[in-house]
Amino acid sequence: MKIFVIGAGFTGMQLARALVLERNNVVLIDNDPDRVRDASDQLDCTVLEADGNNLEALEAAGIASADALVTLTEDDEINMITCSLVDSVYPRIQKIARVRNYAYYTAADVARRRAKSAMPASRPLYGIDSMLNPEVEAADAISAAMEHGAIGSVIELDAEFGITTLSIGEGSPLVGAPLAELSKLDGWHYLVAFVESNEGATSLPNGRTTLTVGDQIGLVSRLSDIPQLVTYTKTPQEKLRRVVVFGADRVGSLLLARQQKKQHVSLWRRLFGISSGDAFQKLVLVDRDPVRCREAVERFPDVRVLCGDVTDEALLSEEDIFSCDLLVAASGNYELNLVTAAYLKSRGVKKTIALTAHSSYGDIARKLGVDVAVPMRGTVVDSIRGHLRGGRVEAVHSVCNRRFEIVEGYISPKSSVVGKRLQDVMDLGAFLVLLYRSAAGAAYEVPCGGTVLEADAHVVLITHAGDTRLVARFCGRE
Amino acid sequence: MAFSFLRILTYVLGLVGTSLLLPLGVAIWKGEAAAVPAFLAPMLTGWCVAITFWLLARGRPRVFDVQHAFGTVGGIWVAICLFGALPLYFSGGFPTFTDAVFESVSGFTTTGASVLSDVESLPASVNLWRCETHWLGGLGVIALAVALIPLLGIGGFRLIKAETTGPDKAKLTSLIANTAKTLWFIYLALTAAQALLLWRVGMPPLDSLAHAFSTMGTGGFSTRNASVGAFGLPAAEWICTVFMLLASVNFTLYYRVLTGRLGEVAHDSELRTFMALVLGAVALATAVECRSWECLGSTLRAVAFQVSSIVSTTGFMTDDYLAWRPAAQVTIFLLFFIGGCSGSTAGGIKVIRWTILGKQLRNELRRILHPHEIFTLSINGCPGRETFVPVVASFVFVYMMLVLATTFMGALAGLDVLTAFTGALSMVGNVGPAFGQLGPTANYGTLAAPLKWFYMFAMLAGRLEIYTLLILVGRACFLRRRVV
Repeated sequence: MKIFVIGAGFTGMQLARALVLERNNVVLIDNDPDRVRDASDQLDCTVLEADGNNLEALEAAGIASADALVTLTEDDEINMITCSLVDSVYPRIQKIARVRNYAYYTAADVARRRAKSAMPASRPLYGIDSMLNPEVEAADAISAAMEHGAIGSVIELDAEFGITTLSIGEGSPLVGAPLAELSKLDGWHYLVAFVESNEGATSLPNGRTTLTVGDQIGLVSRLSDIPQLVTYTKTPQEKLRRVVVFGADRVGSLLLARQQKKQHVSLWRRLFGISSGDAFQKLVLVDRDPVRCREAVERFPDVRVLCGDVTDEALLSEEDIFSCDLLVAASGNYELNLVTAAYLKSRGVKKTIALTAHSSYGDIARKLGVDVAVPMRGTVVDSIRGHLRGGRVEAVHSVCNRRFEIVEGYISPKSSVVGKRLQDVMDLGAFLVLLYRSAAGAAYEVPCGGTVLEADAHVVLITHAGDTRLVARFCGRE
Repeated sequence: MAFSFLRILTYVLGLVGTSLLLPLGVAIWKGEAAAVPAFLAPMLTGWCVAITFWLLARGRPRVFDVQHAFGTVGGIWVAICLFGALPLYFSGGFPTFTDAVFESVSGFTTTGASVLSDVESLPASVNLWRCETHWLGGLGVIALAVALIPLLGIGGFRLIKAETTGPDKAKLTSLIANTAKTLWFIYLALTAAQALLLWRVGMPPLDSLAHAFSTMGTGGFSTRNASVGAFGLPAAEWICTVFMLLASVNFTLYYRVLTGRLGEVAHDSELRTFMALVLGAVALATAVECRSWECLGSTLRAVAFQVSSIVSTTGFMTDDYLAWRPAAQVTIFLLFFIGGCSGSTAGGIKVIRWTILGKQLRNELRRILHPHEIFTLSINGCPGRETFVPVVASFVFVYMMLVLATTFMGALAGLDVLTAFTGALSMVGNVGPAFGQLGPTANYGTLAAPLKWFYMFAMLAGRLEIYTLLILVGRACFLRRRVV
């Protein structure tokens, strides 16, 4: 595929690198000479110094023959207008824009839905096929982790199924026995997707794999079953009543908006708040910037807002932050997030979630004792690659420090696996089929060796990162 | 500028003159020959002046700026009070011109403090005019003028803002004339409903109308010496209680009810506080005052009536609260400080201001406990209303200063301390009755003439929420400095 990437910032570079690894023809464009020099030194792709919204420059670089355009500049407006410009001449090209302004993002979403109901054949707004909002994705990921008690990160595959990363605690019945024998356990019907051992070694499990205390495992289950999973893994768990959110910038306020919507309780429930159970959380927001604090206090009437430095010992002890149940460090300063989360965890906060710059920080976060690390930019790159993978791939999620990928897609009718039983196409250690839904089926099921793979069925695979041949074998390639 | 002012003034006078048609009709119907010229002469004068200025002003540009809006409103109110005193004076029922003006100011400002001890001897048409002044002044003559005279549309919002009560003034509709029309329509409908109900339970038709005028304007003039109590109709007392409370609720809430926005009404901070205050005061005073289980019903009726009458700053009475037990009297006394809701016809400091100050106090206390926490002040569910706090605080300060100055004037004229203080509260708050020598059964006729004039100033200042009148006086005296 020929893919144009406008903007060679952190995300642009990360995306270009991932796309080059997958043997795509990438054209990277930026107007900053230093960045262009850096990028052309590092990456095996065409790098041009030009304004992204200069249509003539894009045409000179060969946009006419491109398959996709990704705009990742700092400016939402430039991202959107560049897509719109290219769309006016080349409507065929798939366009993806990063739009960080939440108002634009929601407005475009509303406009799309209205237009679709009025005129089903209408073009998307500005010709943008998908808008990506990294903050919204990060806030969703944090919100999902909070909902399940901050025991681990959760990848939600659809409304029903998800993959939860959990660590194995003392006394877990999973320890010792090979995975093949776990089905003897009472009520155990979950699939282990990946194992990341204490020492950092990762593997795709098979029937003979055994688990030890401290391992991180990815479990495929219904989202509603997550509480049961914990009874097997014995992951240390706490009731999260007092939640402190650090950072009132975009991710923080999106997160609070989601939590507030979730916890809308009536006056009567509030009066008898004791009986309303786990759903009721007390939220405290801490930020250094008084202007942001003021905005937050006006937006979230049920949230207590503290203005001060989260590293200020006096403030922390004055408001008794050390005894809170969960700290979510979601500020724009990702390094500070990690440090804060680790520090407060060491001072007695029961659970911590930190927003980090990218998924490579997952390891460090775990070593520092942070319970959940939500990567900021990783999610963007994943979701762009999901959109760009071509063929019939729907979405890609990176796990285990980018060593594995979880791929959602449809089996291509031309694929060589069609009509075969799963046990016949198995390649131990190379991939696993986690979930399967036949073309006619309504819901996912966990497949077994005898499952026959049909054309147009929906599958969720876990593979080694960058193993495009395997994905192509299932989902085909354009 | 003087021309612009005179033009508006004459239009308003023409309008008030037209409203004399109603008592004039009653005078003719009842055959009160002496009263006919008393109404006819001012009416014709008003018309002549208005028509003259309308002819002169055709084609002239309409100019209006902030500095003049307040002065204009203050000037108009002084003028209509003088104009409204003419029929009273000409009718011969008032001994001096001062008394007639006092009665008229007391009427237009919806105070309801009368100088007469025997109102029943007045012609029915004059009594109706006294109550009608309450009705005109209640929602505001300028609002009425903006609603009815299309010429005033431009800059009308500034005028109405200077006249309506409360710290937060909003337009309901995009055109101010439509807002004024809507409010006056609601006002008219409520008045008609009350008049019909009073008539249904047995009050004579003319008295029903007069009391409906008086109630909806939250004034307090009655056609009887013993006020509403004279009719001996418990149902009429309950009707008045309900309508006094209805009149002291922000009128924009009725507009919201009519347009189906009930959620906003339910979340209205001021309405909630107001209802809590009224229910609390009624419960407290009833508990103190009730002497036996048998008289619970009648005590509740009397207490509810008197609490509503004072909190809505009406000043009707069915029972002399000076004969109540001290604790019940103090409950009534405290209500003098509160008043109705903003944007209603009631006077006083207004519930919204106390609500804002109360919320601010709570924030201050919480700030001491949590020095790093940020607090906001939300009114009606809208956060970020801290800007109201200094505005409200300075208003309450000026209000209390005016009360103290009026108290001093009362004492200077020979009143005792209690009478002087409660009289001042009653005048500035547009209530009517007070304690001591100015209790509900007494009247203001015995006061010295200079005190009467000062009380008139206090009533007008209270009705126009002080600033308007202060600016008028200030401009006349010492604020005449020009920037260039």
